[in-house]
Amino acid sequence: MKKKIGIYGFTGCAGDQLTIIHSEDKLLTFFDKAEIVSFSMAKSNNKECELDIAFIEGSITTEEQRKRIIEIRERTNILVPMGACACFGGIQSMKLGDGKYKERYEKVYGKKKITIDTTFESQPINAFVKVDFCIPGCPISARQFFSVFTKLINDFRPVLYSFPVCTECKWHENLCLLIEKNLPCLGPITRAGCGAICLDHSIPCVGCWGPVDEANVAYEFKLLIEQGFSPEAIIKKFRMFGGKVSQKLVKNLIGKYV
Amino acid sequence: MKKIKIDILSRVEGHGGILVTIDGNRVEEVKVNIYEGPRLIEQLLIGKDYKECLNIVPRICAICTLSHRYASIRALERALGVSVKKKVLLMRDLMLLGEIIESNALHVFVLALPDFFGFPSITEMLQEHREIIMTGLKIKEFGNLVMKTTSARMIHGENPIIGGFGKYPLNKELNEIKRKANELVPMAVNAVEFLSSVKVPNFCEGKEKITFMCLNSGEEFGFVGDTVLISRGEERNVDEYENLTNERVVSHSYAKRCTYKEKTFTVGAIARVNLLGERLKGESFKYFKKMYNSRWEKNPLFNSYAQLLEILFVLEKIPSLIDEIKRFKNPEIEIPEKVSGRATGAVEAPRGTLYHHYDLENGIIIKAYIITPTDQNLDEMERFLRIAAENLLKKSKKDIDSKLEMVVRAYDPCISCSAHLVKVVHK
Repeated sequence: MKKKIGIYGFTGCAGDQLTIIHSEDKLLTFFDKAEIVSFSMAKSNNKECELDIAFIEGSITTEEQRKRIIEIRERTNILVPMGACACFGGIQSMKLGDGKYKERYEKVYGKKKITIDTTFESQPINAFVKVDFCIPGCPISARQFFSVFTKLINDFRPVLYSFPVCTECKWHENLCLLIEKNLPCLGPITRAGCGAICLDHSIPCVGCWGPVDEANVAYEFKLLIEQGFSPEAIIKKFRMFGGKVSQKLVKNLIGKYV
Repeated sequence: MKKIKIDILSRVEGHGGILVTIDGNRVEEVKVNIYEGPRLIEQLLIGKDYKECLNIVPRICAICTLSHRYASIRALERALGVSVKKKVLLMRDLMLLGEIIESNALHVFVLALPDFFGFPSITEMLQEHREIIMTGLKIKEFGNLVMKTTSARMIHGENPIIGGFGKYPLNKELNEIKRKANELVPMAVNAVEFLSSVKVPNFCEGKEKITFMCLNSGEEFGFVGDTVLISRGEERNVDEYENLTNERVVSHSYAKRCTYKEKTFTVGAIARVNLLGERLKGESFKYFKKMYNSRWEKNPLFNSYAQLLEILFVLEKIPSLIDEIKRFKNPEIEIPEKVSGRATGAVEAPRGTLYHHYDLENGIIIKAYIITPTDQNLDEMERFLRIAAENLLKKSKKDIDSKLEMVVRAYDPCISCSAHLVKVVHK
């Protein structure tokens, strides 16, 4: 029997769902191998039923969204966040935990009450429910998405890249932007899968895929201090995309190394 | 009392809903609810290095990623006194044209087309109208190629930066784009020819002319400018963005609302073609002359046709633009002269005028203000939903829900929606 799949979007730019939609040719072939029961950005007549697999884009920022992700989890066997927002919290979580969310909210919307929902500071999917795998990226790579998709619908465990962008860049034999060009490149501490595309264009990595496992954040921090960045500016840079995970990673940097 | 409620809108970018309350034959209330979760992007920018701004703002929207990047670059370069070489400007034009054509094709051929032919979605349309849908998908794919070639990725490409580009495409890649554009022109002409025969319904036609706004692109039709044209011959500088939009918060939406001189207004392709149509050229001008009439000034459903004319314009424009780009050497990246300043920058995103404003001090952002096209159109959408509901109630009440969705979808909002999740709630 074909696996039942749901694809959902929460708070974000919709770039991960759009990456899937942009793969028109692959889309028809791959989606034929499963039953896409819900994908409201791409199709109509969506059914909300028990799911074998759910792919989730975006972070959770409202009470309604919190209820909905719990409800989706309850009827889903394998739940897979995709994209930096769902996996880590994304750009909207870069100031997570500074205690100034309410102040920022009021600067944007003023004191007038918006009654349709209540909001809170952005959190990744795993802050509310158990997740089974994560497909990182900002946006995700279509290739990695379809690889995970194919494995999962055939009951295999997906394999995700667990090395840094730096490795991909070395494969392309690029001149090192961090060491040789003295640019603040986050390639060594960022998860691979993008194909080192920015580095191929001589643009330093900004870390949009989030931190790689066992990232040597302390050494990267030291290198950027040597480049003349202030500790605070480096921490802001490290925290741009990695949300909750980066928040933890940078925790003791200043005390320990400055 | 009857309530027409569309809860979760499908085939959308973003999260929105519609609520129309009807009492007998009277329309009591019309609300476009936007419950997309807030991210407070402008506040996240405060304290950031100006270069990092470009890593953040394109992520506001995956469909308009390059428009945000471009508007931001224009504001930041103005603030910091950066002037770039001709080749950089031409390359930026090319990237924006890629986004316009991609987004317009997605809306015209995938989202809006089934409305005009009475199908629930393109899947059902495919059997009978395969050729036109395939043309649309090819045009969309072409737009993606242009975006990828200029910005390095289909979505959130980081190649365009302050002062230039990280890397320029090879002539080989540019020639491929030119070849494809030339190949698509006759197919797009066929599509325009075919679609111009479809009758545009009049149920949401207003009595008065709509107030349109778009950037003044100069002598030629285009998507970049420093002043805003407003219907009836008014022209204002983009620096006056606050007075042009007068953003306000309403209780049923996480998107803000805009008015100009206390009246609603329309931005987007229909505004551009109404205000700048005479500046089109070639086939797009020919079809503008053939198709355009006074109904385009009163009926938002013509937006899809305006988008179609723009598609044709872009396809005809790209080959000559590429020839011009190839004439110049790849310039070095320009470094800002200043570290402090303030400025506004605007571009025409696919859905209309997009403003970015920043105040910078020692290279750090201390104030950021972004006004998106969908914000500007929301009040107008509610106004036309009311006009449509009132007209439809006078006639048969059949299909009222799907017709109302058609009105919202005409604006191609980032919450554009489909016809299948309407709920009619009887009180």
